[in-house]
Amino acid sequence: MATRKVAIYGKGGIGKSTTTQNTAAALAYYHDKNVFIHGCDPKADSTRLILGGKPQDTVMDTLRTLGAEKVTLDKVVKTGFKEIRCVESGGPEPGVGCAGRGVITAIDLMEANKAYTDDLDFIFFDVLGDVVCGGFAMPIRDGKAQEVYIVASGEMMAIYAANNICKGLVKYAKQSGVRLGGIICNSRKVDGEREFLEEFTSAIGTKMIHFVPRDNIVQKAEFNKKTVTEFDPEACQAQEYKQLGAAIADNTDFVIPKPLSMDELEKMVVKYGLMD
Amino acid sequence: MNCELKPKDRIGTINPIFTCQPCGAQYASIGIEDCIGIVHGGQGCVMFVRLLISQHLKESFEIASSSVHEDGAVFGALDRVEEAVDVLLMRYPNVKVVPIITTCSTEVIGDDVDGVVTKLQDELLSVKYPDREVHLIPIHTPSFVGSMVTGYDVAVRDFVKYFSKKDKPSFKLNLITGWVNPGDVKELKHLLAEMQVDATVLFEIESFDSPLMPDKSAVSHGSTTIQDLVGTADAQGTIALNRYEGGQAAKWLQTRWDVPAIIGPTPIGIRNTDTFLRNVKEMTGKPIPESLVRERGIAIDAITDLAHMFLADKRVAIYGNPDLVIGLAEFCLDLEMKPKLLLLGDENAGYADDPRIAALKENVDYPMEIVTNADLFELEDRIKNGLELDLILGHSKGRFVAIDNNIPMLRVGFPTYDRAGMYRHPVVGYAGATWLAEQMANVIFTDMEYKKNKEWILNVW
Repeated sequence: MATRKVAIYGKGGIGKSTTTQNTAAALAYYHDKNVFIHGCDPKADSTRLILGGKPQDTVMDTLRTLGAEKVTLDKVVKTGFKEIRCVESGGPEPGVGCAGRGVITAIDLMEANKAYTDDLDFIFFDVLGDVVCGGFAMPIRDGKAQEVYIVASGEMMAIYAANNICKGLVKYAKQSGVRLGGIICNSRKVDGEREFLEEFTSAIGTKMIHFVPRDNIVQKAEFNKKTVTEFDPEACQAQEYKQLGAAIADNTDFVIPKPLSMDELEKMVVKYGLMD
Repeated sequence: MNCELKPKDRIGTINPIFTCQPCGAQYASIGIEDCIGIVHGGQGCVMFVRLLISQHLKESFEIASSSVHEDGAVFGALDRVEEAVDVLLMRYPNVKVVPIITTCSTEVIGDDVDGVVTKLQDELLSVKYPDREVHLIPIHTPSFVGSMVTGYDVAVRDFVKYFSKKDKPSFKLNLITGWVNPGDVKELKHLLAEMQVDATVLFEIESFDSPLMPDKSAVSHGSTTIQDLVGTADAQGTIALNRYEGGQAAKWLQTRWDVPAIIGPTPIGIRNTDTFLRNVKEMTGKPIPESLVRERGIAIDAITDLAHMFLADKRVAIYGNPDLVIGLAEFCLDLEMKPKLLLLGDENAGYADDPRIAALKENVDYPMEIVTNADLFELEDRIKNGLELDLILGHSKGRFVAIDNNIPMLRVGFPTYDRAGMYRHPVVGYAGATWLAEQMANVIFTDMEYKKNKEWILNVW
């Protein structure tokens, strides 16, 4: 089967990297999938749970110190839990340079080095925050990720961000054929969260692919530099990620989202925000 | 080892030898028939490049700009591409090939040119121009990568990649000339015609030595056709003359379509032209005719008149495109001259593996330096600090180094605009060897007269 290239977007701090790594680990551990994670965040924190906290040289650091020709797979690709291969784009420190260009260059270099091999079942692009500029849309350009999942919660700003990302997707849907696979709810235990997300997702024409409940074991595993699946495969939360992995693996609903207008969104927020 | 390859050790660049990638892509584009490129970036990316090419060829031709402004940099400028393609197609009803050449600004803001091409095909082309053959080809040439040389290489590869398609094998030969002048194309075609070899020339810019006709038409166009490009996949072989200007395309044709490739050497001088003709013979099975043996003889005769008496031991500095510089250095060595300093304007990881550079390192028996990432200040600085030269070979951007230091200079390479008609004369082939040797001698003669340096010899020569 062809490799499925998946991009994960969502508001900053929503838990994209945690969700991506836990889902990747579940896909590898429970579903026997061959997975690659490409972290596209300048902070380079998209792979530490898979690699057990092992520091990883980023593509951009290698480029800066050694030059583009010297960026080879053995320098920047590390293998972690369940043979999951990881690469971090890296990028400039806050306030300088162009992180978006870093994403473009890193993906170009990985393609030039043939990092995304045919034996992979999944490649996850874990992308920083919103699609803030052209560079952060690189993973969903032509020939790259065909499907996108947005991590959100019942908090207002997370929904705003998700709606905004959908606007970006609509633009690229025509150009590259990218589609939205669904919204992953990473629960914040706010009131009416599940209902809010269900209404929002159906309004934009997609579905909530999984509701990941909040569980402290995730943080506990993180302190141990592990995904939940590796930390305790029997834990309830590990089963949640197993289900999320299965839902993504079996997913066939790929849509061009219909983002809401500000008015529609405000109304929905008011409806759930004032609920007691 | 007498010959050393090393990067310039000074930080910064003063008076660069090269300009940037989009220039190379534009030079390649003008060789295609019914083609007008759109450079996606600020207007300067076209304006200055077009000026250079125009100054060099003394001709007028068409390249468009998407003309990105501040708003485009903030909001993304793909709408400029959409508009540019539409306007171009409306205004030029014959245009079929539209390379979309990116620049630093549009690459940094992450404009998805490949994506917009898909979109334009689905929307604009199939709706507004359904009966028209139009090819939109994204060419990624950010200025902060490589140089004009790599830009040329990338563009040739991308054109071939886009068009080439297997049909049935032909007996044609793909000849990828690299960055040359109309005079070179003419000479190369002459050599192939003498060998009765049918070749697809990438790119056909002979027509840039254009006539001014009674109907007052004065715009030049390339004449490599879409059919030529499509047919490159069926050829019996590819010869790319220049390793760094078309080498990638030759390699790609070999990998993708099993078209055997020979890359280099640049046929500058007798030795390299011999190798080129032998390669053509090997690939096509056609013998080298007597007529070319005679041409070779004429060239050798011309060289014999000059080499030992005037050219031998002359110390030379050469700068410019790598294949040209290396080819000229090899020829100078064959003429018993002493190329002391070769300046390459970029840093290409491939230079270290270049067999020609390895051969120079192996064989040169006097101190010679090959400086990469070099600039023209490097030349000037070394001259001011004791480098003694009898001749400079390079393009017009270095003219002041020659003028200020009273060193004779033969204009060769791109851009050359301060001498008349240079683009008309070949540096490749036997005719090129003759011309180069004689012109080097002539500039040295002029210098002898000007400096009253044994100029009387010329009375009795």
